[in-house]
Amino acid sequence: MIAHQENAIEVHNLTKTYDGRHKAVDNISFHVSKGEIYGLLGKNGAGKSTTIKMLTTLIRPTSGEISILGLDPSKHSLQIRRRIGVVQQSESFDFATVENNLKIYAMLWEVPRETAEARIEEVLELFELADLRKVRAFELSGGQKKKLQVARELIHDMDILFLDEPTVGMDPIMRRRILDSIRKRADSGLTVLFTTHFLDEADYLCDRIGIMSDGKIRAEGTSYDLKEKYGGMRTLDIVLRDPITEDLYSKLKEAILAGSLAEESRMERKQLKILGKNITRNLDQILSLLRSMGIAIDGINLRDATLDDVFIEVVNA
Amino acid sequence: MRLPAFLRLTYRNIRVNMDLGTMIFMLGLPALYLLVMGTMLQNIIPGVDVSSARISYTHFLGPGIVAMQTLTAGNIGGGMLWSDRRWGMFEQLLVGPFKRTDYLLGIIMVAIIFAVAGSMIMLGLSVLISGGFVFNMLSVSLTMLSLILGTMLFSSLFLIISTVAKTMQTYNTITIALFFVLDFASSAFYPIPTTTDEVIRIISLSNPLTYIVDVTRTALIGVPDTTTYVYALAMLLLTVFLFVLARLLYRTVRSGV
Repeated sequence: MIAHQENAIEVHNLTKTYDGRHKAVDNISFHVSKGEIYGLLGKNGAGKSTTIKMLTTLIRPTSGEISILGLDPSKHSLQIRRRIGVVQQSESFDFATVENNLKIYAMLWEVPRETAEARIEEVLELFELADLRKVRAFELSGGQKKKLQVARELIHDMDILFLDEPTVGMDPIMRRRILDSIRKRADSGLTVLFTTHFLDEADYLCDRIGIMSDGKIRAEGTSYDLKEKYGGMRTLDIVLRDPITEDLYSKLKEAILAGSLAEESRMERKQLKILGKNITRNLDQILSLLRSMGIAIDGINLRDATLDDVFIEVVNA
Repeated sequence: MRLPAFLRLTYRNIRVNMDLGTMIFMLGLPALYLLVMGTMLQNIIPGVDVSSARISYTHFLGPGIVAMQTLTAGNIGGGMLWSDRRWGMFEQLLVGPFKRTDYLLGIIMVAIIFAVAGSMIMLGLSVLISGGFVFNMLSVSLTMLSLILGTMLFSSLFLIISTVAKTMQTYNTITIALFFVLDFASSAFYPIPTTTDEVIRIISLSNPLTYIVDVTRTALIGVPDTTTYVYALAMLLLTVFLFVLARLLYRTVRSGV
């Protein structure tokens, strides 16, 4: 395989089979450009972690090709590991205090002492672990352990950061703080491969997203593209000034469907819901139709499809 | 100055494992064996024959306790792999800037350091209690050889258990049972005369700790004989065998337990 210079990660026809039968990863191909944040989404058992384990040289693929920073993991695993950081899904820590966990990790990664001290203080503050620095890691809560795992990885320099569900057990403020910190590093050139169950995180952080199901990548693109392609219907919520008769609603519905302005509509007391793929484009016509039928409105709200909608549609398909 | 990867891992293993519990297990219990059991039994055991020499019981016990440090350190070494697998650090370190061999060397190095340091402390205590031992080129070389090989042997043995045990209960049960048999069915605490029950005698003479103890004891007392060298050779062969086996099994270890 000839790796493209601009790509930090390139994967071609990657497959991992266990026991000769179960395909954990089934012939996937994707790339991650340098400085890009790529999100890998999928249900439990979709193959995300197995993919990360192959990319981080922990397990060998059954077939297919991988290029990490232009290097082949089967031949240059150590060189690759020197240039990557990995936050694994399962918890991992040394039987030492929070501070010593960070110091030991910095030593293992040969971070110069002064740099290590400054970075340790920085991450202790960033992850709100400063007050827990003398607490032994095994005494921390699940979320705090996860914070320590992420903090530890940010102490050393790297070209690619692999994050396998890094924000599990964290509160929304901390999650956002970590995501912002990752974004800042990506803006400075760090490439990130990120898996999460929180789709809003992927939406917020990732430049591109791949959705995995049954070991395959079923959909790929930017969050916007995916919503456009797989998002299903958008919803226009309309609050009516006064309730309308069943008759009038029937006529309205008929006009909307006949004019292909939307695919579906529902009414409940003063709440009118109109659902369709091209709602945005047809918004003017829908509002004109309402006015022409003498229906007064108090407010409208147009909701975009969320990544959750995309995810459900892709996975269920 | 860049420290080789296995030495960085050795340093990490020392920092992570230098806790009070480990120190009590490593130094406290053997010191109690020497100070309490040794001096108490000395009152009822007039003397023990070792090769051509007749020595006091504490003089006899001292080298046994020194050699036992290899078993203790080996157990701590094997336990490190178990602990790292249990707490996720094994997999985490394997995605770090290390080779698998570095990790294995890091464990064996720390076990050897613990064994040698612990042995020196026990030897110092033995000298205080029972008087001098013979310290010449031969005795020191044989003792060091015995301690290093012994630690590698037991580290390999416990690494094998760490790789095959599926649960913490299994690991603990095996190591506790093994520790008991290796410690007490050996020549560490008492000689193994021909009058000993045949089954116990066979177990004791097949016990690698017996070889380590006997090589250390005859070296430190200054009476090495042919048996000393035969035991040293047997120890070497057994160490190589167990190390190769541990290395092979270790390569198959994938993730946590």
